[in-house]
Amino acid sequence: GVLVPVLVPVLVPSEVCWFLCWFLCWFPVRLVAKTSLSSPPWPEVKLPDPVEEAKYHAELVRRVNGLIAAGHYGRLFAVVHFASKQWKVTSEDLIMMDNVLEAECGDRIRMEKVLLVGADDFTLIGRPLLGKELVRVEATVIEKTESWPRINVRFRRKRNYQRTQIIVNPQTVLRINTIEVFPCLS
Amino acid sequence: MVVLSGARWLRCRLTDRFWRVQEVLKYARHFRGRKNRCYKLAVRSVRRAFVKSTKARREKKRFLRALWITRIGAASLEHGLKYPSFISNLLKSQVELNRKVIADLAIYEPKTFKSLAALAQRRRQEGFLAALGDGKEPEGIFSRIVHRQY
Repeated sequence: GVLVPVLVPVLVPSEVCWFLCWFLCWFPVRLVAKTSLSSPPWPEVKLPDPVEEAKYHAELVRRVNGLIAAGHYGRLFAVVHFASKQWKVTSEDLIMMDNVLEAECGDRIRMEKVLLVGADDFTLIGRPLLGKELVRVEATVIEKTESWPRINVRFRRKRNYQRTQIIVNPQTVLRINTIEVFPCLS
Repeated sequence: MVVLSGARWLRCRLTDRFWRVQEVLKYARHFRGRKNRCYKLAVRSVRRAFVKSTKARREKKRFLRALWITRIGAASLEHGLKYPSFISNLLKSQVELNRKVIADLAIYEPKTFKSLAALAQRRRQEGFLAALGDGKEPEGIFSRIVHRQY
């Protein structure tokens, strides 16, 4: 066989590494080809710095605590879970539930499951409920009546089938007296 | 002596026909045409009205829920989120407000709704970051990503 001399550029390995690092710093090379699956379909997300965020949160909590303690809020509204329903409630509001409450007329009631409290400048969102020492929602039972007679009619034509049912539900009416917030945020 | 059956010359005559008819007509007074006056027509109309209201009571719940969903979707689009991501991210952040209340907040408390949308957006971004993971590859896998280049 004939030996063909091949000219190979000789570079010492340390020089190669140094050159590559310098090269990549100035010209970053994508090591993956850009296809439809090489990056996620959502735009890239950058969250703020956790330390700075913690400082910002503490400052915010202090300010809201100060507002609540000083009483710089107007009318408060609350979202209350009551009678298996959620109600958006303010003071002097009337609420009617379609069942019996075991309390006499004139009794004062405290609603404990509060999901959200808000004022003009701040909102307190519970996950899922707010603490009992943070909010206080009080209501009074005003009247206990029955609903108007609801008529249920089932009818099938040409089959001589007609059933009528009259349903009268007991109802309770409550008046929301006050919503109070206390400055115990942390 | 106790007489259990009436004498044979007594006839049983309907004396309160007027009130029986009024019981049906009172539900038809606001109808249009002769069915608010004539018993024969009113009976049919009143029966259909009751049957429709019975069925509609079940559909009202579905209809109202669809309305709330439309309203919440429109309001969240104003803040740059779509309805599915808004609701799913709120639930993942353990906020358990129902659609009726969120729709009311979107109408009457816009600032509160904006804060809820911001909460959902932040939870969404954290979800994206969590899905990407560390960016490292599992060990022992031969991948098409080139790590060393000469």
